[in-house]
Amino acid sequence: MAEAMRGTVASLLRGIDRYNPENLSTLERYVHMQAQENTYDVEANLAILKLYQFNPGHYQTEIAALILLKALTNLPHTDFTLCKCLIDSSRLNEAPISRILELAEDLETCNFQQFWGELRDDPDMIAGITGFEDSIRKFVCHVVAATFQTIELEKLQELLGNVIDTQAMQWVNKYGWSLNNDGMVFVANQEENIKTKNITEKITFDSVAGIMASSR
Amino acid sequence: MWANSEIEADYDPYAYYGGGPEYEMHTGDPRQDLEYERQYQSSYIVPEVIKNFLLFMQKCINDQNLFEVQNCYENGFNKLTDRFFKNSPWPEAEVVAPIVGNDQIFLILYKELFYRHVYARVQSGPTLEQRFESYYNYCNLFNYILNADGPVPLELPNQWLWDIIDEFIYQFQSFSMYRSKVNKKSEDEIEVLRTNPKIWNVHSVLNVLHSLVEKSNINRQLEVYANGGDPDSVSGEFGQNSLYKMLGYFSLIGLLRLHSLLGDYYQALKVLENIDFNKKNLYSRVPTCQITTFYYVGFAYMMMRRYQDAIRTFSNILLYIQRTKQMFQNRTQLYDQISKNNDKMYTLLAICLVLHPMRIDESVHSHLREKYADKMLRMQKCDLQEFEQCFSFACPKFLSPVPPNYDAMAENFHKEPFRLQLRVFLEEVQQQIQIPTIRSYLKLYTTLPISKLAIFMDEPEDRLRTQLMCFKHKMKNLVWMKGTSGLEGEFQSASEVDFYVDGNMIHIADTKVARRYGDFFIRQIHKFDEITRNLRQASHN
Repeated sequence: MAEAMRGTVASLLRGIDRYNPENLSTLERYVHMQAQENTYDVEANLAILKLYQFNPGHYQTEIAALILLKALTNLPHTDFTLCKCLIDSSRLNEAPISRILELAEDLETCNFQQFWGELRDDPDMIAGITGFEDSIRKFVCHVVAATFQTIELEKLQELLGNVIDTQAMQWVNKYGWSLNNDGMVFVANQEENIKTKNITEKITFDSVAGIMASSR
Repeated sequence: MWANSEIEADYDPYAYYGGGPEYEMHTGDPRQDLEYERQYQSSYIVPEVIKNFLLFMQKCINDQNLFEVQNCYENGFNKLTDRFFKNSPWPEAEVVAPIVGNDQIFLILYKELFYRHVYARVQSGPTLEQRFESYYNYCNLFNYILNADGPVPLELPNQWLWDIIDEFIYQFQSFSMYRSKVNKKSEDEIEVLRTNPKIWNVHSVLNVLHSLVEKSNINRQLEVYANGGDPDSVSGEFGQNSLYKMLGYFSLIGLLRLHSLLGDYYQALKVLENIDFNKKNLYSRVPTCQITTFYYVGFAYMMMRRYQDAIRTFSNILLYIQRTKQMFQNRTQLYDQISKNNDKMYTLLAICLVLHPMRIDESVHSHLREKYADKMLRMQKCDLQEFEQCFSFACPKFLSPVPPNYDAMAENFHKEPFRLQLRVFLEEVQQQIQIPTIRSYLKLYTTLPISKLAIFMDEPEDRLRTQLMCFKHKMKNLVWMKGTSGLEGEFQSASEVDFYVDGNMIHIADTKVARRYGDFFIRQIHKFDEITRNLRQASHN
């Protein structure tokens, strides 16, 4: 359904018609679809926020909240920031948007334990968003893969939201990591990619041939 | 309202004056009355030299003599301005009309220059009436160009075409600001604003830019051009014509700017997705357009936390300015404008390099070291106020697309759009604020236990681990690799200091860059060459 909508919506957003507030109801329905079917279309969602910016009377907190939560599922991309730039400051201070901003802050600073804790306290916030938690876990794995060569399994479980062993192992397997006997997860051989570089200047003959010829 | 096919075509120029007698009355202030008479009485005598200039310019435009039109536009008009109208308006169009035989097209172009001059140079700035009139004049100009059955017989220099689009958006921005500051206005003024919601409306402005883009088929042309084809094969009747082609291209840059002013950075970059900046293109011959483009692209990248792309964009254009600056030395207004943009972009570059240190072009870097070392040092020391000051100085003039609530004005409504962008920026900086300190410690080691760094940072180990992950996350940016779309990219970390964590140990990789001498010597050789050439010439004379 949502995939089929993608094309329709893209044509709605071509040219000047993207500023037509009459498109809002279609676009808003599309956001719900994205949530239910775990798809994502940042351009359509930003177009909604832009329409709210142009027509403040049409603003719907519920839709804005959904768009922001969906933006979190696309981390490490900076969609959340892009959305924030289009929402009035006063609206950002209202609940539940302000709560979502706190969640975003936790994720952006990689304060994952706190993020999961806050989510546990308020599970209704993400009701109706299919695959929200797994999308966040994907982001956690992205950060782990960038930071660690090895990490304790226990620590990894914590970062993933205190998941049980088997669930953690699913993520380990998914990314081709491996569990050592000492309870450490081997993520990747970072030595290969992250090493001290010495950049020295290399001057090729071609690059100075011109000047040598001209100043004979 | 959002998609008028005609842009305010049914305009009655005197509709809103109301023709009340007050309008005719003198103010009692002799200086102001003199000004009034100068402006509104047709008895004002136009100096002969101005008359001749206008007639000559009219002839050049009608003959489509591009070279002379350019000369009139870039030299003649400015010289006469300095001589006769340094801080006062040019003669009203009504006074000029009989001189040029009521040539409507010429009068529209004349008014474009007239109002631009009022905005830029006349001390009291434009009046509300002038803001409205100027808007209608732009509508007339664009209607003339867009509603013709075939391309109109008009050729204007590229610089002028760019200035038209640039000024159109500037005046929209200026009007939005003016409209938002309600506390200093009389009730009459507010009433005029309230009853004319369509004038300088964001939809009309967008409509103009989109219409010019569509009419010229510019996107399709750019797409074909980027793939090595001939743009004329897809341009169509209008798009082949240089007037339409260039207006289409400049409108894309106009949209980049407009979307940025509204805080929509995604759309800002999206409208440029067919332009290949890495290929020298046909359209990049107007320096001010080039500078504007890179400024907004760089800024959008910075807000999207794509620091590497922002740094690349700013360094490229700053280098370009450095190399071409002398060309503008004798065109004061242009020179001032470019210098101001130059300073803004250096400031933004400084911000980006504090957040994402990396190697840049040597000559840009040395200027940065000379002029911005203090600011950068303060930002490195997590001084949020310095970040705020730099951002405020260098950011675009953000605006609100909707009029304020005239009945219940918020005190600082006009500052809200700026505050929002500042807030988003500072929240981002705040999230990264520990990174420069961590980096400064990491630089000193090749391996460092987490526990030891935790003591240096005075943080519990667990929090430090979180901060290390944050470091990696924030330094892994989307970086543009290939293709024309500036939105695409791959995740990369290219910051100077990189590391990974193995169990409880941090392994650090530093990038050491040896000094480069090549550029320095080449520059000196060129300089030496020039001196010997000059000496030889002097001895011949």
